[in-house]
Amino acid sequence: MGLSALTWALLALLTPLGAALVIAVVVPLRRRGTPATWLSIAAVVVSFIAAIQLFSSQLADPHQLMLSTLDWLPSATGTMARIGIRLDGISIPMLLVLTTVAMCVQVFSLGYMADEPAPARGRYYGYHSLFVFGMGVLVLAPNMLELFIGWELVGLTSYLLIGFYYQKQSAARAAIKAFWVTKFADIGLVLGIILLFATTGQFGWNVALPPAWAAPITLLMFLGVMGKSAQFPLHIWLPNAMEGPTPVSALLHAATMVAAGVYMVVRANPLFAQSPTTLTAMAWIGGFTALFAAIVAVVQTDIKRVLAYSTCSQFGYMICALGAGSVMGGFFHLTTHAFFKALLFLGAGSVIHAVHSNELEHMGGLGGRMKLTSAVFIIAALALAGVPGFAGFFSKDLVLEAVQEKGLWLPFAALMIAAFLTAFYIGRVVFLAFFGKSSKHAEHAHEGGMAMALPMLLLAAGSVGAGWFGSSLARVYGLEYEFHFTPTGMGASALGLLGIGLAWWQYGRATRSEAFDFLAPIGELARSGAVDRFFEIGYRRGLLVLSSGIGWFDRYVVDGVINFSGWLTIMAGRRLKRFQTGNVQDYVFAVIAGAVVLAAWGLFR
Amino acid sequence: MMATHPYLLLAAALFSVGIYGVLSRRNAVGILISVELMANAVNINLVAFSRAQGTALGQVFMLFSIGITVAEVVVGLALVILLYRSRQDVLVDEANELSG
Amino acid sequence: MTSQIGFGVIAVCLLLSALFVVGSKNLVHAVLWLAVTLLSTAVLFVTMRAPFVAGIQVLLYAGGVITLMLFGVMLTRRHESVEIEAETSPRRRVPAAIAGAGMFILFATALSRTPEQPLQLHATVDTVDIVRSFLTGNVLAFEVLSVLLLAAMIGAIVVARRRDHGFDHVRIPRKREERG
Repeated sequence: MGLSALTWALLALLTPLGAALVIAVVVPLRRRGTPATWLSIAAVVVSFIAAIQLFSSQLADPHQLMLSTLDWLPSATGTMARIGIRLDGISIPMLLVLTTVAMCVQVFSLGYMADEPAPARGRYYGYHSLFVFGMGVLVLAPNMLELFIGWELVGLTSYLLIGFYYQKQSAARAAIKAFWVTKFADIGLVLGIILLFATTGQFGWNVALPPAWAAPITLLMFLGVMGKSAQFPLHIWLPNAMEGPTPVSALLHAATMVAAGVYMVVRANPLFAQSPTTLTAMAWIGGFTALFAAIVAVVQTDIKRVLAYSTCSQFGYMICALGAGSVMGGFFHLTTHAFFKALLFLGAGSVIHAVHSNELEHMGGLGGRMKLTSAVFIIAALALAGVPGFAGFFSKDLVLEAVQEKGLWLPFAALMIAAFLTAFYIGRVVFLAFFGKSSKHAEHAHEGGMAMALPMLLLAAGSVGAGWFGSSLARVYGLEYEFHFTPTGMGASALGLLGIGLAWWQYGRATRSEAFDFLAPIGELARSGAVDRFFEIGYRRGLLVLSSGIGWFDRYVVDGVINFSGWLTIMAGRRLKRFQTGNVQDYVFAVIAGAVVLAAWGLFR
Repeated sequence: MMATHPYLLLAAALFSVGIYGVLSRRNAVGILISVELMANAVNINLVAFSRAQGTALGQVFMLFSIGITVAEVVVGLALVILLYRSRQDVLVDEANELSG
Repeated sequence: MTSQIGFGVIAVCLLLSALFVVGSKNLVHAVLWLAVTLLSTAVLFVTMRAPFVAGIQVLLYAGGVITLMLFGVMLTRRHESVEIEAETSPRRRVPAAIAGAGMFILFATALSRTPEQPLQLHATVDTVDIVRSFLTGNVLAFEVLSVLLLAAMIGAIVVARRRDHGFDHVRIPRKREERG
């Protein structure tokens, strides 16, 4: 169709917003459930089509850039901030990823959430549409200010969706935890944006920062990234976020919302590139998170928790790549990860729906009963493990090479070990869930239906295909990419296969070996929630003490001054009122005395 | 005497005696009487100045002063009578309900 | 010389009677001493060659005001055969004396710093001059004074009237049947 790029972009953005508003306002529509469902899905399909259109036109003409903004915040010296849409090689692919995964997830939810009461479903889809809009704003933002608006919007919808089962206390608390931790991180982002504006007078990212400020500003912004993309130590909210419905975990907490942090770094790369300190910090934190999260993932019993820690770990890879200066590496892995991780979650959702439990112990032998699910899950697992041919292999390879080239040996080693562990833990999940003997829960498992099957197939195609299209993606990004066979890549693949093999050896066979039992204490430690305890102590000892100190100061010093003046007035009044004796002669005496004094002063000076 | 000062000094003395009376008398009528003394002192002053300047103005003022003093005594006595009626005495020491 | 002695006698008389005015325990005595003071003042005025004001002084002050004072004293003398005290308050005497003395010192100092003005005793001020001044130059003040006196009179009556037989207790009948 011959619509302009701007029109497509606005369609992509505003139809979900419209759906969200209608669902929010028209209460009968929402209460009936089904109308809201179809409205939301229709909106996201429109967005998807728009994204396809934009992507194909971008493919044809890679350096096309469209920037359409309005004056938004006026100030004394001209416009302070603009608002609008920026379409370029970074925002369009991300928009496509967003709409594809969102569409898949919403269709999947038709089947997954079918047992929910109608009003709850209406609410669910309302939140989904709002999320698509918010993430769209973030993706298409032309400056940091608008990006931040989208950032906060998706944070809100994340809270709403994590706490979807709000009657469940653990879910409500998880939602608050997510919000609290990301809000804490957002302090850094806000400060960074404010400082950006203060030092450069505008909110865009194509500016030169004053050298002294480059590191502080970018580090502060990275703090926000750490919260949003669940890097250590601010990753603690992501495992708890699994309390939300599984499709939500797939969309928000695997593919898109947590991706916002990495996306921001990609977007604002001109800023981050100006601070080698921040880049180094990113590489180290990313590398550490990748390894740490992978270790913790190995010992989880809840299938969603494995995937949650896996997400942390994979984002560590992306951050590390960006820290090594490879925008292509980070962004490519972001794209491929979106597909296979979302698919992993949807597959897990299919399994959970079938066995009515999250625990791996309750699964087993599902390969026979749920052929489609197991097939797509295995495809996604192979992609995650970095097996050659699947999407993850290409992007992970690029990441490793970039880190290696930069000479960051310790992060590189961490990433390599994490690659091994990644393959191991996902292999464990696959073998425990789909092979072996069925547990009692799993005996009546069956596939979910068309609504759940089709999206999984689409994502499976993406998990394979996204890798092969690396070079065309690169063209779209406006970057260079060519695939080579390198020792690093081969080494990583080998580690991956080794990991899968070890997982089979440990979990795939009928008997479990005792060889690795000496590692059990590490498992206990990993499950203990030490990081959470650390934050809790910090909060109690640090923040609360500080708060009570400030409270004391406010009560006794600030209020004290006021109270003192009040007390002074009352005391003065009490003393002074004794002058009013009620005796006329005293008053006359006062007058005369006063007159005498005044006259004397006049006479004798 | 041929000069003003003795008269003025006399008037000042009379005024001071009047002040003493106003401030030390307990009976309200006593206070009014002492006020009369003060007014009288003022009159002496006025007449002295009138004679010093050779015009009638001071004496005219003195007549006004008498008139005003009379009015003041009238109203004052009315109030004293009111006070007597409500409190059965006219001692100003005890009429101090408006104290702070 | 004679005039000085005369002045001295009158002055002494004046001040002594004033002291008795403020010092008497008996209020009637005080009023009578006041009469003496006022009459001495009138004599003083005569020596100052101001006969008109001397006459007015006797008429109004020594006549009218003394009468008023006496009435006041008599009407507030006793209640249920208990005499009301008229003494000066002992604890107020010292502060009062100080105030009075302070005032006098002030005046004396001020006087000592101003040059003396001679009295032009030979120039007579006719009664006619005074009256002319009243009716031409100061006529407004004259009229205002008369209004003031009227207001004082009415005010005093209103303030001090007895309430029990006053008009506010009269009931005006409303209907024919209520009238007697």
